[in-house]
Amino acid sequence: MNKTKLSAAARREENWGWIMVAPTIIGLVVLNLWPFVQTLYASFCEHLGFGHYKFIGLKNYVDMFANAEFWKATWNTIYFCILTVPVGIVLALFVAMLLNAKVKFKGGFRTIFFLPLVCAPAAVAMVWRWIFNGEYGILNQMLGQKIQWITDPKTAVIAVAIVSVWSSVGYDAVLLLAGLQNIPKTLYEANSIDGAGKVRQFFTITLPMVSPTMFSVLIMRLMASMKVYDLIYMMCDETNPALVDMQSLMYLFYRSSFISGSRGYGSAIVIWTVSLILLVTLVQFWGQKKWVTYDI
Amino acid sequence: MRKLPRMIAAALLLALLLSVTGCGGSADGKTHLTFQIWDVNQRDGMQAMCDAYTAQHPDVVIDVQVTSWSEYWTKLEAAAESNTMPDIYWMHTDQILYYADFGILADLTDLYADEDPDYYSNHFSDVSIANASGSDGHIYGVPKDKDNVVLVYNKEMFDAAGVAYPDENWTWDDMMAASQQVYDKTGKYGYMAYNDEQLGYWNFVYQNGGYILDENNVYAGYTNPATADAIKFYVDIQKNDWCPDQTYFTETSPGTAFFSEVGCMFLEGSWNLLSEMQNYPEMVGKWDIAPLPKCPNPASGDGRGTISNGLCYSTAAKGKNLELVKDVLRFFGGEEGQRIQGESGAAIPAYLGLEDTWTTSFKSFDYLLDVDVCYDQFDYAVKYINNATRRKWKPTVADEMVKVYKGADIDSSLARMQEIADSYVTTE
Repeated sequence: MNKTKLSAAARREENWGWIMVAPTIIGLVVLNLWPFVQTLYASFCEHLGFGHYKFIGLKNYVDMFANAEFWKATWNTIYFCILTVPVGIVLALFVAMLLNAKVKFKGGFRTIFFLPLVCAPAAVAMVWRWIFNGEYGILNQMLGQKIQWITDPKTAVIAVAIVSVWSSVGYDAVLLLAGLQNIPKTLYEANSIDGAGKVRQFFTITLPMVSPTMFSVLIMRLMASMKVYDLIYMMCDETNPALVDMQSLMYLFYRSSFISGSRGYGSAIVIWTVSLILLVTLVQFWGQKKWVTYDI
Repeated sequence: MRKLPRMIAAALLLALLLSVTGCGGSADGKTHLTFQIWDVNQRDGMQAMCDAYTAQHPDVVIDVQVTSWSEYWTKLEAAAESNTMPDIYWMHTDQILYYADFGILADLTDLYADEDPDYYSNHFSDVSIANASGSDGHIYGVPKDKDNVVLVYNKEMFDAAGVAYPDENWTWDDMMAASQQVYDKTGKYGYMAYNDEQLGYWNFVYQNGGYILDENNVYAGYTNPATADAIKFYVDIQKNDWCPDQTYFTETSPGTAFFSEVGCMFLEGSWNLLSEMQNYPEMVGKWDIAPLPKCPNPASGDGRGTISNGLCYSTAAKGKNLELVKDVLRFFGGEEGQRIQGESGAAIPAYLGLEDTWTTSFKSFDYLLDVDVCYDQFDYAVKYINNATRRKWKPTVADEMVKVYKGADIDSSLARMQEIADSYVTTE
């Protein structure tokens, strides 16, 4: 297309288009892109203090890859994803299907499942800390056990994973519910005339039809899990013996950057995490061709 | 009609610009100062002090702002980078060297030069001045308060177990024996020793004649025999039945355990006493405080010691209202300002001779806590441990302590802690 051939009206329309997207683009550049560039630069620097950086090349990365604590945190993050993502999505789909069925008080249930998302993560974590409390927690009272949920290295990650799934399942369910409601009823009718049972319907109609939504949910949930920080921060103190066994990459980043003041090293951890997320997301986009159905 | 959207857009833009630039001036013609603190319990005391100043200077308004401790330093550092710091802010010993050595803080050494060249040494203790000084020995904050660590004990449990209350002659052995006795007779925990520096093992180290940093604040002393023995003694306290272990303390702080009446002793900072009197009204009269128990056979010294820290008021070297702020600081560090702070109960004034003004607010309770203990302990108080590199090695050393409590070999952990702290000596 030749630009000079644009009519005056078309050009004006084009200009308006730019003006309309400008706030978003400017916001994206100022708030996301530029800080990313700065973080990338900082990862090659030592932070001297108060925003002054000294270029030190790859030293942060060399130190990082030689650090056992870093690899432990990387594994913790992956382990956390393995614990939360599959369980979370299956549960969310289950809840969505229940809410899609003809049940009484459907509106009430939807509200209840969505409620955790409205609560501040910090408040959620504080409440769960008391539930998990080894001495006085209601969970141990119910189980009649004395499990040190948050301080025992074996159970600490599981405890955080439970809270994470609990607080995200409602949101995912609402997204999946929207996907379920978009499935035309006629498909089920035709299918049952053909004599298919409920289970077969689920695998031949529901699952393929909802797969695009599931794909979005999967991507978002994986990213959120790989960036998990607030729950661990709230549930795990500096003196927790299980700290090393539960700290995620983002928590390690926080401790390096804001507690030790080594922002360069912290930035290197962030770049590593971003690379991991990028890799996982690329793999998913490649893998989706095998299981996501976009047309019937 | 087509012009209408453009006019609206222009109006919105104008409003935006005004809101951005509009914060500089003030409508009432007064100078507005901001005063940033982190302890909500001291807000009223700080406000009272500011009110006394503004009563004498009607053209000044001081706005006291509280930010929680966990966010305070992140915010303050960001403000320092963008040169938008509050006019006056509290400074903590953990951070003062970082800020002062980087040239962020205004040098206040000559603040009282006209009045009295030796003002600081005449009115503040050496520990207070040291806690407010930069690495260059200049003063970067007006000493605000001072504190130390005391032994808090439950009188009812001591009575029930038939043990005499702790006094200034108590030793570690007495504390251990009393703990056992209380546990045997009442089933309650004894002295609750948890993984903490200032409210924990530091005190024991100095009582035993050891040190965390040598007298020049350069080399660490973790492998010094007196230090190592004291830390081992402290860590091993949790091996007794009468002391909960670290997993317990991760979820339940000794203070929480004490005030829910499951344990009978813990170490507490003097700065928390007033709020504990206020927050646990049903406990008033059931507990009291005593000097820290002495080390019975110290490697050196008389076995006494308590860690004493103090805050100070600082301001930015590049502050816009520096001259005015200095005048306010002069008032905060003066007799009147310090007296108001003490009487409000906010904290023990750093100003020598005004310590007992702090008793005032304790008199409002049915039971008068033995706060004289806090004042008497200043005679042998140890300066809070700090040097310019500590903020870098503190978290790593703390991680090693966590491993010790998880069962790692203590001697190799102490060697590792020594190595970590000393690795910063030459490079800085």
